[in-house]
Amino acid sequence: MKRKAVSAVMAAAMVMTMTAGAGSMALAEEGEKVTLKVFSNLPDRKNGQGLVEQMIIDEYMKENENVTIEVEALDEEAYKTKFKAYSMEGMPDVVSIWGQPAFLDEVVDAGVLAELNPEDYTDYKFIEGSLNGFTYDGKLYGLPRNTDVACIYYNQKMFEDNGWEIPETYDDLLALAEKISAKDIIPMAMDGGDGWPMAVYLSDVLFKLTGEDYSAVVSNAVSTGDFSDENLKKATELLKAAADAKLFQNGYDSQDYGTAMNLFTNAQAAMFYMGSWEASMALNEDIPEEIRKNIRIFTMPVIDGGKASATDITAWNGGGYAVSAASKVKEEAVRFLNYMYQPDKLSKYGWENGVGMSAQDQSPYMTDNETELQMQIVEAVNNATSVSGTPINDCGLSAFKTSIESEIQSVSNGSMSVDDFLSAIGAACK
Amino acid sequence: MYSNKFVIFSLVLPGLLLFLFAILTPICLSIYYGFTDYTGMGTWKMVGWENYRKLMHDEAFWMSLRNSLFLAIGFICIQHPLALIVAAVLDKIKGRGENFFRCIYFIPNVISVAVIAYLWKFIYNPDFGLLNNIIKAFGGKGDINWFSAEYAIWSVLVVLIWHGFGWGMLIYYTGIKNIDPVLYEAASIDGADQKTMFLKITLPLMKPVIQVNVTMAVISALKQMETVYLLTNGGPGNRTQFAANYLYQQAFKAFKYGYGNAISVVFVIICLVTTVVLNGIFAERDERKQKRGKRGTAVYEG
Repeated sequence: MKRKAVSAVMAAAMVMTMTAGAGSMALAEEGEKVTLKVFSNLPDRKNGQGLVEQMIIDEYMKENENVTIEVEALDEEAYKTKFKAYSMEGMPDVVSIWGQPAFLDEVVDAGVLAELNPEDYTDYKFIEGSLNGFTYDGKLYGLPRNTDVACIYYNQKMFEDNGWEIPETYDDLLALAEKISAKDIIPMAMDGGDGWPMAVYLSDVLFKLTGEDYSAVVSNAVSTGDFSDENLKKATELLKAAADAKLFQNGYDSQDYGTAMNLFTNAQAAMFYMGSWEASMALNEDIPEEIRKNIRIFTMPVIDGGKASATDITAWNGGGYAVSAASKVKEEAVRFLNYMYQPDKLSKYGWENGVGMSAQDQSPYMTDNETELQMQIVEAVNNATSVSGTPINDCGLSAFKTSIESEIQSVSNGSMSVDDFLSAIGAACK
Repeated sequence: MYSNKFVIFSLVLPGLLLFLFAILTPICLSIYYGFTDYTGMGTWKMVGWENYRKLMHDEAFWMSLRNSLFLAIGFICIQHPLALIVAAVLDKIKGRGENFFRCIYFIPNVISVAVIAYLWKFIYNPDFGLLNNIIKAFGGKGDINWFSAEYAIWSVLVVLIWHGFGWGMLIYYTGIKNIDPVLYEAASIDGADQKTMFLKITLPLMKPVIQVNVTMAVISALKQMETVYLLTNGGPGNRTQFAANYLYQQAFKAFKYGYGNAISVVFVIICLVTTVVLNGIFAERDERKQKRGKRGTAVYEG
C-alpha cells in the first residue's frame, strides 16, 4: 500500500514537472512576452536617480505591455561584487556600468558587454567627449548617464550667520576650517570610510595644481607605476594638511557616506564634500527645510602656485548603462536602453528631480523652477574653462583603485608617510 | 539492515557527495586558480608560484594574520575565562535569575551581525557616539576617535569578543550542567569552599569542553569576516584587516581572483595546521597525564 502511495506521488510529481517544462517552452515559442532584467546600482527607488530610473522603467512597461522589467538594485559596493559573479554565470540584460578604466577595462576584455551602434545616438545630444570613456578600440560599449562635478556643498545660512566667506584659495579653506571648528561645528563632512571621496578630493587638488597637465601626469604615473611626480606629492601633502587642519570631522577615515551626509543635513557640519549627484538634497523633504533650502556649492579653491584657475573644475562622466553581450533578448534590451536615453527621458526627468547634470544637453528642459543649487551646478559647468576628466582612483585597473582607496586613509591620518603612499599605489599599478 | 552494503552506501552517499562537491571540489579549484592570473572574468593563464611569491611580501596579508592572532589571544585570554566564570556563577544562582541572565548574555548572539556592526558604529562614533558622550558626562573631553589608526584594532576586538561571548558561555554552561552535583555535595561535606570547588571540580571536569571551545575560538578568529567587513572594512588603511576580508577584497574588488585564491589556499593551510597543532597540544597533555596516572597507580600497587 505504502509503495503504491509513493509511486503515485512520484508519478504526479513527474507529470507536474513535465507540464511545467512544456508550459515554459510554449511561452518562449510564442515570443510575445519578454522579460528584461535590469541590474542597477541605485537601490533608493523613491529619491534621486533611482526614482528617475524607475519612472522610465514604469513608462516603458506601460507603452510596451508585452515587456516586463525586473529590477535588481544594490548599492555600489555590493553591485560591483555581484556584477562580477554575474559575469561568470550570465549577466542580466541591462546593467549599470562606469565608463572608467578601473571598471570597464576588465569588463570589456572579458567580453560581457554588447557593442552598441554609435549611429543610433547621433540625435541624442550627448555632450562632446562624454562617450569617450565608454569607447574601447573605436567600439561603443555603453552610454553615460551623468556629468559629475566635484562639489563642496555648504550651508549658506550658517555661513552668513557666522560671517564666514567662501574661500578663494586653499589656504583660505584651511583657515576657514579653524574658524568653523572654533564654533564647535564640523567644518567639512567627509566620507573617508569609503576611500573614493577622498581620492576625488585628491584629484581635485591635483587638478588645481596641474591644470591641463592633469591627464598626462595621472596617465603617466598609472602606466609606469612611478608616482614620484612633484605635483602628486604636493597634492597628497595638501590632502594631509587638510586632515591635520581638522577640516574633516573627527573619525572621518572610518565614517561612511550616510553618516557624513547626515552630519551636513543635520547642520552639524558646515560643508560636505561630494559629487553633484547629491544636488537632489535641495528637494529632499527628509532634510529640514531651513537646511535644504540653504544648500549651495562652491568648487575647490585655487592653490598658490597651481596652474588651474577658479573656473577649471573637476568633472567627469562616470556612471552609465550597457547591454549584456549574452542577453537572450538583446534587441529588446537595446531598444529599452535607447528609450532611456531619448533626450526627454533620463535628461529631462533627471533635471526635473534635481539629480544634477546628465551627459546630454539639458538646456531645453529648463523650467525656471530650478533650485538655486541646480543652477549653481549648471553655471559651474557652463562657465568652466576646462574640466579634469576621470578622478585618479578610476584611471588605473581595479587593483590600483582598491589600493589607493585603502591607503589614502592611512596617508591622510598620518599613519603612512606621503612617500610610502606614493610608492604603495605605484606598486599596485605594476 | 545495516549489514547490507547497499544500505550503508546509500546512507553515506549524500554526505560524501556534499563533501565532494561543496568542500573538496571548491578547494581543488581554489588551488588551481591560485596558480593563474584570472581576474574573475574572461580568460586566464598559468603564472606558477607568482601569486604565492607576492603573498609572502604582502604587508596587508601579514597584518591581517597578526590581527587574527590578536583576536585569538583575546578570545582565549579574555572572552573564554570570563565566559567560564559567568557560566559557573550562573549555575550557582539557580532559579529565575539563572534563566534571566542566561538570556541577557546570549542576546548579542541572536542579533544579526549587520545590526551589531551598525550598533557599534554608532556607539563608537566620535561626534555623537554613546561612548564619547559617557566620557563627556564624566567630565572628559569625549572626542576620542575610536576607529583611528591607533585604537581601531582594539575597538574591533572589543566588539568581536563581546559578540561571541554568549556562545562560549552557553557551551561552558551546558558543560557545567553535565557535572554530577553529587561531586559538589561531597566536596561541600568535606568543607571545600566555592573557589576550591571551581578549581578542583569544575575546571578539571570541563577540560574537554574547554578544549573544543578554544579550538573553535581560534578557528573563528582566523575566519573572522562579516563583522569586520561591516564595521571598518579593514580600515583605516589596513589596520583592522583580517585574512578572510582581505581575500574577499582582493578577489572581488581588486579583480585579482587568482591572487585571492592563492590567499585562500594559504588561509586553509593555516587553519588546518592550527587545528592539528591545537589537537596535538591537548592530546599530548592528556597522554602525559594518563602516563603519570598509570605510573602513580603502579607505584601505589607496587
